[in-house]
Amino acid sequence: MPFMLLVMEKGEERRARTAPEGEAAYARMLAFADGLTKRGLLKACDSLRSDAEGVRVAARGGKRTVVDGPFTESKEIVGGFFLLDCRTMEEAIAIAHECPATEWAEVEVREIGRCWEGNG
Amino acid sequence: MAAASETRRAIDAVWRIESARLIAGLARIVRDVGVAEDLAQEALVAALERWPETGIPDKPGAWLMATAKHRAIDLLRRGTLLERKHDELARELEIDRELNAPDLDAALDDHIGDDLLRLIFVACHPVLSTEARAALTLRLLGGLTTDEIARAFLVPETTVAQRIVRAKRTLADKRVPFEVPRGADMAARLSSVLEVIYLVFNEGYSATAGDDWMRPALCEDALRLGRILARLVPDEPEVHGLVALMEIQASRSRARTGPSGEPVLLLDQNRALWDQVLVRRGLAALERAEALGGAGGPYALQAAIAACHARARTADETDWPRIAALYEALARRVPSPVVELNRAVAVGMAFGPAAALPLVDALASEPSLQGYHLLPSVRGDLLAKLGRFDEARAECERAASLTRNARERELLLARAAGWARGAS
Repeated sequence: MPFMLLVMEKGEERRARTAPEGEAAYARMLAFADGLTKRGLLKACDSLRSDAEGVRVAARGGKRTVVDGPFTESKEIVGGFFLLDCRTMEEAIAIAHECPATEWAEVEVREIGRCWEGNG
Repeated sequence: MAAASETRRAIDAVWRIESARLIAGLARIVRDVGVAEDLAQEALVAALERWPETGIPDKPGAWLMATAKHRAIDLLRRGTLLERKHDELARELEIDRELNAPDLDAALDDHIGDDLLRLIFVACHPVLSTEARAALTLRLLGGLTTDEIARAFLVPETTVAQRIVRAKRTLADKRVPFEVPRGADMAARLSSVLEVIYLVFNEGYSATAGDDWMRPALCEDALRLGRILARLVPDEPEVHGLVALMEIQASRSRARTGPSGEPVLLLDQNRALWDQVLVRRGLAALERAEALGGAGGPYALQAAIAACHARARTADETDWPRIAALYEALARRVPSPVVELNRAVAVGMAFGPAAALPLVDALASEPSLQGYHLLPSVRGDLLAKLGRFDEARAECERAASLTRNARERELLLARAAGWARGAS
């Protein structure tokens, strides 16, 4: 049963981070990912560039909109993700606790599954 | 109460994800898998006592490792390990150095790849029986409890506990070194590992009627072990072949049983229920096996057969001539009457029943197939296609009398009854 860890960062903190700080954090995340991979717990992972360089695309009523980042209305951005290969939510949470990003961001734990709530 | 059980579940989860690297890391230090497992268990007991009071520590893996290593030092000082004295001093220094590492959590992963690989090879060592290898592998690498393993293999818990205790004693008695085999030894030892992983997979896969969640979960455990192994020995084609075989078989899980739990045969399955993510992973693993020159390996060949089914959008599109050819290659590589019977089925589908019947008839006197219900079942099927309904019915009824599975018996008797009408 796959689970996803989403690294939720504050957009302004990400933009204020210096290169050496960023590289140090990135190195720790790489080591974390490497350990998970070797233990067979990781299916995929990556980090995302800043939302300042992102674009939001939508289509409503036949009208397309394209909004450039940074997206000031949302305080948090997805900074990266880990697609886990573990058995239970509890295990995913235990893995999230090991994630170095918990020290500077929030790590959201979500189960992979259907994208609607209603039954039937 | 709720909080206590929540903590317990959180500790169980920590154990599941931490135990393998804990035991692997400890085994490198104490050079005895049994002792390493005992130390890890003691650390778990300590956690179960402490964490409900203190809360789960920030770095639970590092906490467990530090606790276990302190106990390892105690053991070394008491001289209870078998190795010589100067060895022990050196090891004590090593443990001290690791305990004082600035980031114990990161240090846990320093040797993790090599340690896990050694652990897999020791747990699957040929001095152990296949059952013992499977139990030990699930215990040491899967983080399963004795009770969970017992439920998975449908045997009493005491049986599993004894298997594990005896296995650990055998490894210690035979002085099995904690190392990855080299050279000529590697091939034989690797095939022992692959056999265990596939056995675990099949225990989960064949349990279509099991209500117990543990049995299907075994497939996932086997897949995880396979993927770990594929990363640790990426140049071994048969590892990728086995992973491919397991991924493609697992892709059909949801289609293999009907609404009331009855088995659905491959050709009758609703292919829309096949998990295409697993199919793609399986096909990719098969490509890796073939790219490494392993197309002719037994697991790669079986994966290639499974891939033929996976690629066919409908049962009618199945490339039976290719499947027949792959079975022929498999039969040459690992001669077996069961493979031969499967080849006959494929030949029948590809070239008609008349071509297949002689192949099945040649197996009639095969001692290992006496009492095997699929032999008369396949023969009956071919005879019916040739219009020889009376003989077909007799074979089908014989198959029904041989199977131990009630659902399958019903299926066979229904088919026999249908042919009785066809004959009249």
